[in-house]
Order: sequence, then structure tokens, then C-alpha cells
Amino acid sequence: MRGLAPLFLGLFGTFAFSWVGLTVIPNIQIGALNPQMDEEGTDVYPAPKSGMAQRGRRVYAANGCNYCHSQQVRPDYASADIDRKWGERRSAPRDYLFDRPVVLGQERMGPDLSNIGKRAPSEEEKPAAAPGTSPPAASPAAAQSAPPPNAAPAKPAANAQAASPAAAQSSPPPQNSAAQKPGAGGASPAAANPPAQAAAASPSPSPSASPNPNGIPPLYSEAWHYRHLYSPRSMSPDNVDSTMPAYKFLFEKQPIGGERSADALQLTGADAPPSGWEVVPTYDAKCLVAYLMSLDQSHPLKEVKNIGAAAPAAASSPAAAAASPGVAGSPPPAPPKK
Amino acid sequence: MTPAIDIPLKEPTISAAASDAEQLERARIDASTRVPVLMFYASAMVWLLIGTLLTFLVSFKTHSPDWFSEISFLTWGRLRPVLVNVMIYGWSSMAAMGTAIWLMARLCRTTLRHPLLIVTGTWFWNIGVLIGVIAILMGYNTGYEWLEFPPYVAVVLLVAYALIMSWAVLMFRFRRGEQIYITQWYLLGAFLWFPWLYAAAQAMLFVVPVQGVMQAAVGWWYSNNLLFLWLGAIALGTAYYMIPKVIGRPVYSYHLATIGFWTYVLFSSWTGMQRGVDGPFPAWMITASIAATILTIIPVATVGLNHHMTMQGYFPVMRYSPTLRFTVFGAMAYTVFSVVGILISLRSTARYLHFTQATVAYSQMGLYAFFTMIMFGSMYYIIPRLVGREWRYATLIKLHFWASAYGIGLMSLMFLVGGLVQGANEQDPTLPFIESASSVLPYLRGATLAAVLLMISHFIFAFHFGLMLFGLGRTATVPTFLNPVEAEGAEPHL
Repeated sequence: MRGLAPLFLGLFGTFAFSWVGLTVIPNIQIGALNPQMDEEGTDVYPAPKSGMAQRGRRVYAANGCNYCHSQQVRPDYASADIDRKWGERRSAPRDYLFDRPVVLGQERMGPDLSNIGKRAPSEEEKPAAAPGTSPPAASPAAAQSAPPPNAAPAKPAANAQAASPAAAQSSPPPQNSAAQKPGAGGASPAAANPPAQAAAASPSPSPSASPNPNGIPPLYSEAWHYRHLYSPRSMSPDNVDSTMPAYKFLFEKQPIGGERSADALQLTGADAPPSGWEVVPTYDAKCLVAYLMSLDQSHPLKEVKNIGAAAPAAASSPAAAAASPGVAGSPPPAPPKK
Repeated sequence: MTPAIDIPLKEPTISAAASDAEQLERARIDASTRVPVLMFYASAMVWLLIGTLLTFLVSFKTHSPDWFSEISFLTWGRLRPVLVNVMIYGWSSMAAMGTAIWLMARLCRTTLRHPLLIVTGTWFWNIGVLIGVIAILMGYNTGYEWLEFPPYVAVVLLVAYALIMSWAVLMFRFRRGEQIYITQWYLLGAFLWFPWLYAAAQAMLFVVPVQGVMQAAVGWWYSNNLLFLWLGAIALGTAYYMIPKVIGRPVYSYHLATIGFWTYVLFSSWTGMQRGVDGPFPAWMITASIAATILTIIPVATVGLNHHMTMQGYFPVMRYSPTLRFTVFGAMAYTVFSVVGILISLRSTARYLHFTQATVAYSQMGLYAFFTMIMFGSMYYIIPRLVGREWRYATLIKLHFWASAYGIGLMSLMFLVGGLVQGANEQDPTLPFIESASSVLPYLRGATLAAVLLMISHFIFAFHFGLMLFGLGRTATVPTFLNPVEAEGAEPHL
């Protein structure tokens, strides 16, 4: 080697090439995106997450959820992600505008979570109880039965029928919520032709069809998440093989002082605390669930084709219509000027 | 590049009739590196033992999730990043720095100046890794893979690195002899790239954070480059030194080595984005990385051919030289690892293997079968020269080798095949998702078995290393051969 200059230039140059090529230039291309708006400057997507959800993302990362759960939907031509109802369109850089840290995930020992909040039952839009964390409101069967084992097999159907008109007088029709209450399925004629949203809420047919002896909350509701985090294998026949660890350390066991806490978990069987005790989520758990409930990439983006919404049945999905009127059923809005 | 005749192909080989002066000089150089390199190796061994216990724990918990799940710092999602970071920053980086400093001193034919400053740097590095581990266990994971340590740990690590590597680079400044051997290229490159890579990633993620998915891009760029340009470069440089040295024969072709080096740097530094295949990124980034991954076949072929031709006719030496056996295993694993990397990054296969355990297999093969095995080889060579004793038990070395080889072989196979099954099930939307996760469980149990094998191998090695460290090695002039009887006729260059 005649002189070191060529060697050092080479070492420097090759690496600089990679650094500029893979991080600096892409950063110029997609590193300064703006939220998408329509002409009036409304209907902004995405929006920054609330403080609780933001902290929930930290809890998510701190406990390594991202090592088993991805948060990216691949396009329909390259994967079965959309067929699995994990989303209605592929994910785009704009979806992650405000995410920090961004937790795209590298592995799927658990299902994709990009739209887990969207897939929650829509009756949570206007629960009767106070906003925020309200597991009892999410599961009417549980709210009425004070000791957990009381959730007898026969009850949920009746409860769901009774509760749904009261809980959701507005957009979701009764059969919609009935289809989502796993216990209410089966013979109900309303559930026999479930709307597309029910399919979206429960990708595999078994959870909604299976009997529900334990008072399991509706799939992907807040109450469902709490219970799933506390005891992942207690949820339904589908979940007994789950390899998700239990996150019991995100919950506290405390004696019931006076009356039961509003956010105490409804637990049965081996998970149930001794009588006089209750299991309540910690603030971290509430943040984590708030974060999960905030995960929603269903808003159309002008740069991405909406595969799921293009299907005729799904176009009139009540939740989508309620979330963004005039968008879901119609072609995507014209691109905003700037 | 310069014509081959300029190049001291024989430089790293000990001539059989080395003069006394030369041997004296070498002894002086080894003496100057003794304390810091042993310090690196001892720290690395401790981290390796911690890491190997964690490997077992993490592997076991993947199929038995309720095991110790009630304690926050023993939850799988915290142990896994600890495992990865202990293995990368604790074991791999420290072993790599130890070997690299020793090689640099030998190749520059100069003593190591200020060894105590390097030892201080080692302490800083250890403390940095320890703080990082505790932070992750307490729930301060940053959320970026391979960069889970909080940013303040990065400051400690970079300060430690400056203390360590400035002297290694200064050795190069004070080198004797005109020639620069190929190993020095790799080492110099690694010394330069690591701080740049680490600082750039930290800056782009924490100081001036980039927006949205760019964080993931920076993270993948970082982790792949850390694997290739920091650990991989030192491993390849070590192989270029050890193989010719042990068999006492120059590298087959200097031109091939040059081509291999520059194509390696150029192409492997562009890989990484294939991890985001079909994800929320501009397609050109993914395609560029896939293309770069495919092109790494060029350095793989040239480096592999070069080593193969160097070894030609000398493969039987592997029967008795521990160094050569480990190093050649690692060099071959480099080829296998790269070919697997190419196969799993193609879009048609990525459809099935993306998001599966196959990606774990890929990292394992790179970090263990390729890098770690070469480091083991170099430690078997270097440590006797530092402590003045020979390895005591050939049986233990053999056990170490076979447990490691079978362990990593089994683990890679389990993750690869398991990943294929998992991916095939995941791609079939008629199956419930849980099928895909459940179908991989038998393979994860197999991987736990492999983790036990690796644990055995590492404890054997640590025991042997401890004997050497406490002066309980053999006092002999002949190195420890694996098969002493056959070694009689061999050239004693181990």
C-alpha cells in the first residue's frame, strides 16, 4: 500500500456513502411529513396521541411488547395481513408521524396491533359510565354481577340485549353489538348475518361463536385488554395456546375498602383474588391500554389504496362512518393543497 | 491498488527460524498488551456467562410464558433486550476489542502505550453496560432494537471507547515496517466505523430525533452495520490473521483480499432495510438493501475462496489446532450466514419469513456461528501468549468446540425451520393466527435444548479460561494439540 490516504479515504467514503444513502437521503424524503388534511383544514390525520397513550407507548417499549407484536400492515399483494383483518390498507410513513419511539416490530409471535384500537367494539364510543378507563361499562354482563363467578352462561345474552339499546342508542344497531358480544352469538338471527364490522372486530370466527362462561368482555375492548394482560390464557378457547406472558406486575391486588373500585378486574377461576380483595390496574397498565386503544390506522391516506374499505360490505362500516363521516364509503378525498 | 509484489504476504507468519531478537520483540509486545487484553477477555467472559444464562431463560420463557412472569424485571420482554445487549456490548464488543488490540500491536510491531488507560476504559465500558442492563430491567428500554440502552449509557460507552481505541489507533501511527497487512485494514475500518455508527445512531434517535419511521430505518441501519462493520470486520480481520499464522502459509491472494475487503464494506454497509420489507418505507430503500444483500455474495465468494485456497492441503491441521478449528468454523459460517441472509431477504421468501423466527436465526448465525466462533479461536491463540502457559486440557477444548458447534447449529436450524412453518401458517388467512404462533413452539423447545448445549460449552470455556488466568495452565513449550499423537508431524504453529 503506497500511503495511507487512499485507505482512509476509502474507509471513510464507503461508510459515508451508506450513512448518507440509508439515513440522510431518506430523511429528506420522508423525515418531514405533515399530517394529512382535507381542503377545509379539518379531518386531520394522524393526530398526536394523548399524554396517557404517549406514556403507554413507553410502557409498551419498556416491557418489550414490540419483540412479539408488529405494528405495520403489509400490502395485500405481499402478505395476508389485510386478509387477516389487521388493517384495511397497508401502513404508510405518514401513519407514524408522531410516534416516538416508533415500534414497528420485527416479529409476530403475537398478532399485528396496528389497528387494535379500531377493532375494539364501537359501543365504547359513548359508554354510559365516566370516560377514561371504564371496564364495567364495556362489559354489561360484568357490571351487573358483583361477584365474578355470577356471570352465568345464560346471562350474557340477555344482558347484551338489554344493555345495547341503552348503551348505544345512536349509530350501532342492536344486532351489531349483539354480534360482538361473544355470548350473544349463536342462535340470534341478527348475528347470523353479521355486518362487516363484526368480522373486522373478531378475525377468527371462533371467539364470537364460542360459548362464554367466564364473562369475557367483548374482544379488544378496554376490559378485554386488562384481563388479557393480567391473564392471557384465560380469555377464550382461542387463547389457551397463547404464548404471551402475563403482566400481573402491572396490576395491584388490594383489599376492598368500602365498595369495589370501578376499575377492578372481573376475574374468575384460578385468577380470581380471594374474597374481600380486588385486582386493579396500575397507572402504567391504564396508560398501556389507552395506548392500545389509540392504535388506529383506519383513516384513509391519499398515498395508499384502501383495500379493505373497497370491499362492498365493509364500505358502510358504522364505526368508520361514525369516525369520519363522508369518507369511508366514498372515494378518498382529494389531496389537500399543502 | 498496489501490485502484489509490494505486499508482505509472509508478514504474519512466524518463520520457523525466527531470530532471537524477533522473538524477544514479540514477547515485549505481548507483555505490553497483557493486562488490557486479559482485562477485556475476563470482562467478556463474565458477560458471556451472564448472557448464556439469559439465553436459556429467554428461550425457555418463549414456550413456557408463565415461568417467573410475575416479577417485573424477569418478564420476557425485559430479559430479551438485556440478553441481546449483554451479548453485543458485553461479550462481543469486549472480546472483539481485546483481540483487535492484540492483533494491532503484533501487526504494527509496536508495544501498546499506556495500557492502564485502556484498562480504565475497560472499566468504564463495563460500568456502562451494567448501567444499561439495570436500566432495561427497570423499564427504561428506549424501544429501538440493539439500542435499548438509555442515551446516557451511550455517553459512557463512547468515552470508554475513546479511552480504549485512541491508543489502538496510535499504535498504528507508531507502527514499524512499511507494509499494512489486510487484517489492519479491517481493524482500522472497525475502529473508525464504530464510533461514527454509534454516535450517528444516538444523535439521530435521541439528540435530534428523526421523524416517525425514519427512527426504525436508522435503527436497522445501525444494527446491521454494527453486525457487519464492527463485529464482522474484526472477525474477518482476525480470520485473515489466524488462518495463515497457524498453518504457516501466506494468504493465497492479496488481490482477492482487496476485492473482498472493499466489496464487503461497500455492500454490507447498505444492508439492513430489508428488515422493513413491504413496510411503511419508500420502496427504493428496501430494494437497495435487498440488492446490497444479494451483492454481498461477492465478498463472501472472494473471502471464502481466499481462505479456502490458503487452507488448501492444510485442512488436516484442523484436527489438532484449536485456533484453526474454531476460526475455520467461523469463516465457513460466514459463508453460510451470508447465503441464508440473501435467501431470507428476497421478496418472494421474505413474504413467508419476515416477522418469523427465521430473522432470529439470521442474527444468531452472524453473532455466534460467524463472529463468536472466530473470537473463541483467537482467544485460544492469544491467551497462552499473554499468560505464558498453555491450555491445560485438550478434552475441554474439544468439548467446548463440539458443544458450541452443535449448539449453534441446532439453534439456527430450529429457528430457520420453525420460522418457515410459522411464516407459512401466518400467510394462510384461513388459519387462525394462533396456529402460526403455536406451530413454532416445538422448534422453540429445540432451541432451548441448543441453549443448554451452548451453556455447557461456555461454562467449560470459562473454567478453562479461569485456570489460565490463575496461572494453572500447562508449563510447556509445545502448544496444546487437540489430538496430540497425530500432531507430531505437524508444523507447531498453533
